[in-house]
Amino acid sequence: MVRYAMAIDLTRCMGCRACVEACKVENNTPQGIFWMWVFRYEEGNYPNSKIRYMPRPCQHCDNAPCTKVCPVGARFKREDGLVLTDVNRCIGCRYCEVACPYGVNYFNWKKPWKNQYYDWGEEGLPYRNPDHEIEYEGRLVSGGNHFVGVMGKCTFCVHRLVKGLKPACVANCPVNVFSFGDLDDPNSEVSKAIADKNHFRLQVELGTEPKVYYLGAPLDPRVLRKPLDSTREEVNP
Amino acid sequence: MAKITRRQFVKAAGLGVGAAIAARLVPEDYWDSLFRSDRGSSSTASGEEKKYSTCWIGKQDCAIIARVVDGRIVKLEGHPADPRTRGTICPKGMAQVMAVYDPHRLKAPLRRTNAKGQQGTWEEITWDEALTTLADRIVEARSKGDKYLVWQKGRSKGVPFYDKAFVEASGAITLQNGAYCSDAGYRAGEYTVGRNGVLHPDFKYCNYLVSWGWNIVNAGGNKSCWIQWNRLLVEARERGMKVTVVDPSIHGSGPHADRWLPIKPGTDLAFFLALANALIAKDFVDKEYLTKHTNAASLVKQDGTILTDISAKEVVWDSLSGAAVPFDTPNIDPALTGEYTVGTDTLKPGYQLFVDHLADKTPAWAAGICGLTEEQILAVALDLGVNARIGSTITIDGVDVPYRPVAIHGFHVTQQELGFQASRAALLVMMILGAIERAGGQFIDYTPTNASEFDSWNNVTVKDSGYNVFLKDSKFYPINSNSSGIVAQVMNNPSKYDFQESELPEVLIVHMSNPLLSFPAGQNDLAESYTKFKFIAVIDPWVSETADYFADVILPAALLEKFEGPFTISNTYVSATTIRQPLIDPMFESRGEIDIYLDLCEKAGILFGSGGYLDRLNAGLQLVDPHRLALDTKPAARDIFDKWAKSMGVPDGIEYYVKNGVRPKETYTPEKYYGSIMTPAYGGLRHRLYGEALGRYRNTMQSMGVDKMYYQDYTPFPTWRALTKDLSPPDYDLTLISSKRIELKQSRSTSLPLLKELVPKQKLFINTATAGAKGISDNDQVYVESHNALTGETRRVQTVAQLVEFVRPDTVVLSHHFGQWVHPVARDSGPTPNSLFFAGDGYTTNTADQSFHVNVRVWKVV
Repeated sequence: MVRYAMAIDLTRCMGCRACVEACKVENNTPQGIFWMWVFRYEEGNYPNSKIRYMPRPCQHCDNAPCTKVCPVGARFKREDGLVLTDVNRCIGCRYCEVACPYGVNYFNWKKPWKNQYYDWGEEGLPYRNPDHEIEYEGRLVSGGNHFVGVMGKCTFCVHRLVKGLKPACVANCPVNVFSFGDLDDPNSEVSKAIADKNHFRLQVELGTEPKVYYLGAPLDPRVLRKPLDSTREEVNP
Repeated sequence: MAKITRRQFVKAAGLGVGAAIAARLVPEDYWDSLFRSDRGSSSTASGEEKKYSTCWIGKQDCAIIARVVDGRIVKLEGHPADPRTRGTICPKGMAQVMAVYDPHRLKAPLRRTNAKGQQGTWEEITWDEALTTLADRIVEARSKGDKYLVWQKGRSKGVPFYDKAFVEASGAITLQNGAYCSDAGYRAGEYTVGRNGVLHPDFKYCNYLVSWGWNIVNAGGNKSCWIQWNRLLVEARERGMKVTVVDPSIHGSGPHADRWLPIKPGTDLAFFLALANALIAKDFVDKEYLTKHTNAASLVKQDGTILTDISAKEVVWDSLSGAAVPFDTPNIDPALTGEYTVGTDTLKPGYQLFVDHLADKTPAWAAGICGLTEEQILAVALDLGVNARIGSTITIDGVDVPYRPVAIHGFHVTQQELGFQASRAALLVMMILGAIERAGGQFIDYTPTNASEFDSWNNVTVKDSGYNVFLKDSKFYPINSNSSGIVAQVMNNPSKYDFQESELPEVLIVHMSNPLLSFPAGQNDLAESYTKFKFIAVIDPWVSETADYFADVILPAALLEKFEGPFTISNTYVSATTIRQPLIDPMFESRGEIDIYLDLCEKAGILFGSGGYLDRLNAGLQLVDPHRLALDTKPAARDIFDKWAKSMGVPDGIEYYVKNGVRPKETYTPEKYYGSIMTPAYGGLRHRLYGEALGRYRNTMQSMGVDKMYYQDYTPFPTWRALTKDLSPPDYDLTLISSKRIELKQSRSTSLPLLKELVPKQKLFINTATAGAKGISDNDQVYVESHNALTGETRRVQTVAQLVEFVRPDTVVLSHHFGQWVHPVARDSGPTPNSLFFAGDGYTTNTADQSFHVNVRVWKVV
């Protein structure tokens, strides 16, 4: 059985957010919801200032706190490593959002057809992806927040994996920041990337066993000033 | 020339930087690897189509694959066989699917129902009415003469054949937008080395890059697309290339810069002169290149002109024979330095004059001007000098190529008061090192072909009067970048430019350009000039701000639902061709531009026959028999591209592109790519270290009585002077510079909600310490007020402060993209910096290019 993992090379990232937009269009996530996000941080003081970038998808933890708190079994981990949400089961309690230390869960507050940037009316979002109307392994787990009152997050593009395609963010990175594949296969892109470069994972001390590996020097919280991003209120007024 | 073997080189390089050098310009299996790529669109199911086209929203028309389901575009992905993007696409390209379906697009042609100069009210009209109205105005303007019709377009996409055909068939005066971009650098490149472009590196072999006034990760390259630039940068960095950033703001270069020199805005010319001084002082000089491929050895008379023989050949001093001889005499040793007597004249080689010119332009001198230290400037000079490895060669594809792995990327050095001469100075520095078009060295245009302007800028007949509205060949701007800002100055005040009021243009067509918003001083100086046009038509997918205030009619253009191109897509080492093809039928009543121009020309009586639009299309697309367009039949856009493809030797014509999207075109060989091993070397051009014509123009301009401000920068060598903007009073204590954001492309993408949510509002980036001293905190509302140093006029905007460390304390930054008032998504997002800039005297270069620097003061709104 395959065991999916992702490596993100911070030494290559340009902070362009092509991955963010690829995710948004592929998964049709509503306004203000970012299953993939790229943080931009400023380190140091003038003239020793540097801006650094950090893409952040769901970490697809092996020991995922979000699955443990779900009262209805909607959040679950598959054998292949994907942590997914069965939207038919989700009751919108948001326990998973609280339990996750990485902030990757987005609750769908609004009627989806009213929150796709425009009110598209009866016709719906014109570029909606039909792949999200299909069940995978018998459960409706793909795509972005098509129902009000349910939780959504990165699925590693479960609907693309079945077609033999890489997740949308991985496929669209102009500078090949991402490696994706089977952690148990020593010849997979991701295994080779981890073997070749220094890497770290986020908040491993919590025992979450995340399956996203960051390559390059760890972002040092002692020198981080503040995110340069726009505020959440501006992004989602 | 000393030849360094690979083994010796690796040893000498010490750091092992050179060890990774491949011996090929392009891998042998390059094209196979592209078409084998596993990226790209998902497999197709029933009801699904995979269609090819090109990106519309960005700068470079990247090839794309569309997933179309039941007639809806679901997603756009990069085409794996596009050598630049290899199956990826930038955030703008990814998000543009929403632009196609934007409910705020123009639905039908519109006619204004209220007076111009205010927000428009409109009525829908038919295409026939709209085109007839415009055609009648074109006919009327043409009947009066050739000065009365002006055509203005934003960046032309691909081969500008349908644009050019219209301009030629109608006789319109063309206004371009390059004067707001990099054209001062283009003029310097064309005049100095005969290449059409600005400075960028041969990434494949470059070991040391100075990124000058350039957001190395967010801006893209000169003629490269944003993706390709970054791919090359990352690969070069992993190979060991070092990067120094010279810029008032380091922007997002963080992980990709080894050193940052926060230079004071507008002082780059002084830095370049100091670099030249230091390189010469330490003898980092490629004398072989200078004598063989430039006019450095040409003897200059005391009046500033170059000595020529009876056949008008430039003359050099041959040290072997001790005589003055034509520069191309075989077996001579031309002197670069010294003073020589020929007849009664005492002459010096151009290079000696340059050395004299630089004598006191030391790093210590420049440090005080640039706001840096002497050590910082010297360090860059040493890095350049040592890494240039003057005299070395490298073997590429079995060919020995001179190896100078150092380069500057200097695109936005052009956008300042001294932009032309600063760009020229950058070129002179790289000429001293012999790095022009050498392996790893300084490129200007990555498909090196001779620019016709190399000769034309050297032979301008400067006119005292009788020039056109952008002052072509005039005593004001003999080398001229065709600036709308200058046109506005002339229209607002013709007598100042000795221009007849009766010769001012009357009819304007604005095609996919939004000068009122996107050009500096648009809402001030440009708007005033727009009131003088009797009729303005706008071709655009949306109601632009320019249309809103000044259009009489608006014609709705299609986005991805049309044929356009053809496009050459190159990663600077290989190239391919592609075309834009309609993915779906045009939305609403929009139409592709080719269809619009065909109908417009038919109605204006300039479509058919010799010299008509179709005739010009044949020429512009280089169509050959039997694939030329008949001159008496209006073709469909698809047929035009079919004939183009067949003329290019593609037997299947347009069908090839329908089935494949991209067609491989060319793999560059070293002999085609590297200037000094071309036949003839550098296309037969002798580069101009000494700018004789510049001095000549200065003398002519002076004799015609123009003000000093116009001729002062026409000097044979770049000459530093105090900046006009610094004549503003000292309370305007900061310099405003502008920048771009990767998520947005000029102003058009700000109306795209997917992108707008990433960068929702304008922010003034201000250094934390500076803000603290002014009592400004994060997210405070602030006023930014600019001051015109010559007229005393002030302009003011209100915005929000963001305190950062990546900007010089005496500099503040506003990004473009904002200031719209028409599109509901884009409006109320804060001001554009263009509202603070000034057009005209003091804020343009000597080549009529716009400066993006102005002195401002900033205070908190209370």
